[in-house]
Amino acid sequence: MKLFITTLISAFIFFKASSQPQFILKGKIEFEKKTNLHRQLDFEEDESWRNMIKKSMPQIKTSYFDMYFNGNKTVYMPGREVVSVQKVPEWFDGPANDNTVFTDLDQQMFSSQKTVFEDVFNIQDTVRKIQWKITPDTRTIAGFECRKATSVVMDSIFVVAFYTEQIVTPGGPESFAGLPGMILGLAIPRLNTTWFATKLEMIDVKETTLVPPKKGKKTNIENLKGQLKPVMKNWGKWGDKNIWQILI
Amino acid sequence: MRKILTLLTIFVFYTLVVSAQKASIKGMITDTLNKQNLSNAVVSLLKAKDSVLIKFVRSDKNGNFELKSLPPGKFVLMVTFPAYADYMYQVNLTDTTTENTGTVKMTLKSKLLEEVLVRQKIAAVRLKGDTIEYRADSFKVREGASVEEMLRKMPGLQVDKDGNVTAQGEKIEKVLVDGEEFFGDDPTMATKNIQADAVDKVQVFDKKSDQAVFSGIDDGTKSKTLNLTLKEDKKKGYFGKVELGTDFNNRWNNNVMANSFKAKRKLSVYGIMSSTGKTGLNWQESSKYGENNNIEYNEDGGFYFSSGGGDEFDSYGSFGGQGLPTSWSGGAQYSRKFNGDKQNFNGSYRYNKLNTIGGGSTVSQSILPGNVFFNRETRNAESTKQRNAFNGTYDWQIDSFTSVKIKANGYIGSQRSVTSYASESTDNFGNNVKSLRTTSAEGDNSSINSNLLLRHRFKKAGRTISLAFDEQSRTTSTTGFLNSVNQFYDKTLLRNVDTVDQKKINEIINAGYYTRLAYTEPIVKNVFLELSYGIRISNSESKKLSYDRNIANKYENLNDSFSNNYKYYVLTNSGGMVWRYNGKKITTSFGGDIAQADFKQTDVLRQTDVKYNYTNLFPKANFIYKFNANSRFNINYNGNTRQPTIEQIQPIRDNTNTLNIAIGNPNLKQEFRHQFNINFNSYKVLKQRGFYTYASFSTTTNSISTNETTVIGGSSVGTRTYQYVNLNGNYNGNTGGGYNFKIKKIDLSFNMGFNASVFRNNNIVSTLNNNVLSSLKNRTDNNSFGINFGTYKYKEKKYDINYYTQISYNTSTSTVNQSVKTNYLTHNHNIYLNVTLPHRFEVNTNVEASFRQKTNLFSGNNNVIIWNAYIGRKMFKNDKGLISIRANDILDKNIGYSRYINSNIIREESYQTLRRYFQLSFTWNFSKNPGGSTMP
Repeated sequence: MKLFITTLISAFIFFKASSQPQFILKGKIEFEKKTNLHRQLDFEEDESWRNMIKKSMPQIKTSYFDMYFNGNKTVYMPGREVVSVQKVPEWFDGPANDNTVFTDLDQQMFSSQKTVFEDVFNIQDTVRKIQWKITPDTRTIAGFECRKATSVVMDSIFVVAFYTEQIVTPGGPESFAGLPGMILGLAIPRLNTTWFATKLEMIDVKETTLVPPKKGKKTNIENLKGQLKPVMKNWGKWGDKNIWQILI
Repeated sequence: MRKILTLLTIFVFYTLVVSAQKASIKGMITDTLNKQNLSNAVVSLLKAKDSVLIKFVRSDKNGNFELKSLPPGKFVLMVTFPAYADYMYQVNLTDTTTENTGTVKMTLKSKLLEEVLVRQKIAAVRLKGDTIEYRADSFKVREGASVEEMLRKMPGLQVDKDGNVTAQGEKIEKVLVDGEEFFGDDPTMATKNIQADAVDKVQVFDKKSDQAVFSGIDDGTKSKTLNLTLKEDKKKGYFGKVELGTDFNNRWNNNVMANSFKAKRKLSVYGIMSSTGKTGLNWQESSKYGENNNIEYNEDGGFYFSSGGGDEFDSYGSFGGQGLPTSWSGGAQYSRKFNGDKQNFNGSYRYNKLNTIGGGSTVSQSILPGNVFFNRETRNAESTKQRNAFNGTYDWQIDSFTSVKIKANGYIGSQRSVTSYASESTDNFGNNVKSLRTTSAEGDNSSINSNLLLRHRFKKAGRTISLAFDEQSRTTSTTGFLNSVNQFYDKTLLRNVDTVDQKKINEIINAGYYTRLAYTEPIVKNVFLELSYGIRISNSESKKLSYDRNIANKYENLNDSFSNNYKYYVLTNSGGMVWRYNGKKITTSFGGDIAQADFKQTDVLRQTDVKYNYTNLFPKANFIYKFNANSRFNINYNGNTRQPTIEQIQPIRDNTNTLNIAIGNPNLKQEFRHQFNINFNSYKVLKQRGFYTYASFSTTTNSISTNETTVIGGSSVGTRTYQYVNLNGNYNGNTGGGYNFKIKKIDLSFNMGFNASVFRNNNIVSTLNNNVLSSLKNRTDNNSFGINFGTYKYKEKKYDINYYTQISYNTSTSTVNQSVKTNYLTHNHNIYLNVTLPHRFEVNTNVEASFRQKTNLFSGNNNVIIWNAYIGRKMFKNDKGLISIRANDILDKNIGYSRYINSNIIREESYQTLRRYFQLSFTWNFSKNPGGSTMP
């Protein structure tokens, strides 16, 4: 510790002025969502069946989402389409893959539109209170230094987020928010899924863009959960996976 | 990197307890050297215990911040600013603390870096990356000790009395064997069951999540993990089952199956002997002990299952034929992966033997203009078949773009059968034919197929090329005898007796070679073009010789009219083009193949050649619209030319059934079939409701139909000859649908549906009355309409109950004799019940009942009620054993039965089948895992 303080003092002496970094208040972020489909199959017992299905689909499904933000409002929606040769069969893809999520961080309210099997839901509820654990670890995503935070949501789902303080809006992809900066990287190991920002465009985002989605049957998290639980109870592990995928 | 960052954090500890009205913290943030105030710096309040974020605020443009309304407790105040080192500040808050940090001075990280790197190097010395690795051989343990005992000796590892392992104070969450989970996720499964001497290395590390592994991105999910790498020669184990079943009389079912694995090698063997209809491995057994299942998939991600030849040796292990089977089968399979799993070899051998005995009877009606023939036949049959089969596959993934697959399979078999028939045929006028007939055959058969498939994917997505070579050959040779006596009566007066006593030598050899080249090219986004070209060469020989018995009692006189020997040579060139569009909602394709086929038919006995050539077209189109993931609509069209088969052209008579003789027709043309299919299906997952409907229609131009001539006058009344001819106007359509739903309150599911079919067949009905031939075009219409209903309720590990019924009404009319109508109703009921009882008992029972309305012709009792029941008790650890009593067909009412209606012939067949038996069975599943100890 003594050595350390000495280091500190010597560091002060050599310090030279540097310009303050730029803080970003509005813009558009593109997220790349990747799901490892093969890993999702690993709990299937029948090995020959598992291997056969693995061969028929790509290991990783990639899709893109755009997030617009200005001040304390964000809207996250499907972005550019990916053309892949090997298609992911619909029955495997599962629900809630084309979500639009509008979040008003001042009001702590969100409104999201999700396709859940045959129904489109418009879920309106308060922003999830996430107990984020802040860590000293950092990594660079899309050119921004991000700090790692972890949490457990929905009782058992471990989540890792990387946020940058350089973007002032405390938002993130899907319904994840509440860190002192924008979440540019998100990983949910149980769903074998990651979201990482690929780029930030510093564009002007108008109020007309930052509006809640309109389509879908109005519901809230509690009601939706009540509706899903009885339907998914015989689906085994796939049922849990589907519920998590819908509710995140 | 993480370590550097940890060290970069500056810890400054203050502890202050001040009293005020509401807890709050304020202060100002500034740059150490520049004395410049920092705005937008993040000030976060974290719980001291677990770093959970409680609240955060950003500093204003003057560098000031204030956190208000804070709960009491021990916290860390963290101040962060891009490119600056983190600033930590410990605070204890009570309800009324007002804390002032004063000026927080921040320092640029870059100024701290060089000094710190030195420490990092020192810290890295004892680790190999993030992994601590122990070499197992350095820790001596007693012979036969488990991994657990070895772990106790390793520094830094502790094992508690329950077997939980702690490494550097953290609990081990996962134990892997060679990087993979070992029989579930209980960490002690591996440490208790694997022997220490099987282990090469023990590695302890923080396992990154699976996600991090594929993306290369550390998402921070860490679970302390222990990985055991096994010595190459110790990666072995086995599992299997023994099943014994008997009724203590003449019904038995005994199976032994075992699978052993060692490193990348796998060997499995099985043996089955059964008189209850089990002829081989069933579906589940096949995936564990047999060859890989033939699951295929198409480009849209759909799956379908294909089974092999579809004969009694290849029908997923259960006997589907007529009579009482007794079977023996055995096999072995070996597979091995090598070269980093890029190469994969799989080979298997199978032996099957099947004896069947059984008889049956057939009642049929041939409707003629102004007359109807009734025919009753009884038969007794006995047969034995055996086969030795092999199968081999070799896969080689040369690189990520190119792969080769070689497959070969074949068999050698023999068969012997004797069937005797007695029949009587009577017409409206009292003409009568009595026939006694015995056929026998004994012979060998063999087959070899091989193919090679080379596939290459290009860098450009969607561009692929594939080349396939195929070889097929099959031979069958039999020697047999035909004995028949037909007596023709005019009312009661014997008019004529026709006797046949022949030796039959049949030999059929088929050989074919096929090469196909296919290329796909992405034209624009989502649009692909597939081009293909293929050549097929096929050589076949068909020899059917009949010898009459001569005076010396020897079968030496060749019977010209019932003998033939043909050679065929067919060369087919085909080209195809298909356009495909793969959109998000719409998938569509259209195109087709054109094939030019040149035939040469050589009559070896008569030394003549005939040549034909056909141009065959195979247009197709398909359109799919996906409303959403669970609803889709599909319409497709397939057209195909079908050329006549050898038997249809071959202008020679076959007298295997002396009352029903086939005649070839060398002038037959190809037929062209159009087929349309429409279907729609939708399932609502949340509402648990589903609906489907389908319709299909096919019509054939120049349809290959029959011309049947029945002798109604003269000396051989009742004999029939048939020949294939081209006719128009045949069609075939069916439609159906279903709806299923669940009443959620009582958790009861229902399904109901309907089906309807129309079938029109044209044929020619001729009668021969004392050399006067008269022919009539006949049109037969068969229509049927049915409804079905089912309900089930299921409670996991409690019970499962299911009821299903189907009712249908059938009508059939023929223009040749409209006064004969065949209308009848059938209904089937099926009840299934399975209950799990306490004390590991299980009961299940099912009843299948079929009721068929009697008709003028089918006047016998055709109702079948089959009731089966089973009671079993699981035993041993992990339910590895099962003892059960099964009762098959308790009421002893089973009869083999089928009813056919085709053109102007209506036929009902019944045959001998397995009936009541009781069986006591015992099943034991065993396994042994790597290293040597027995699985619990």
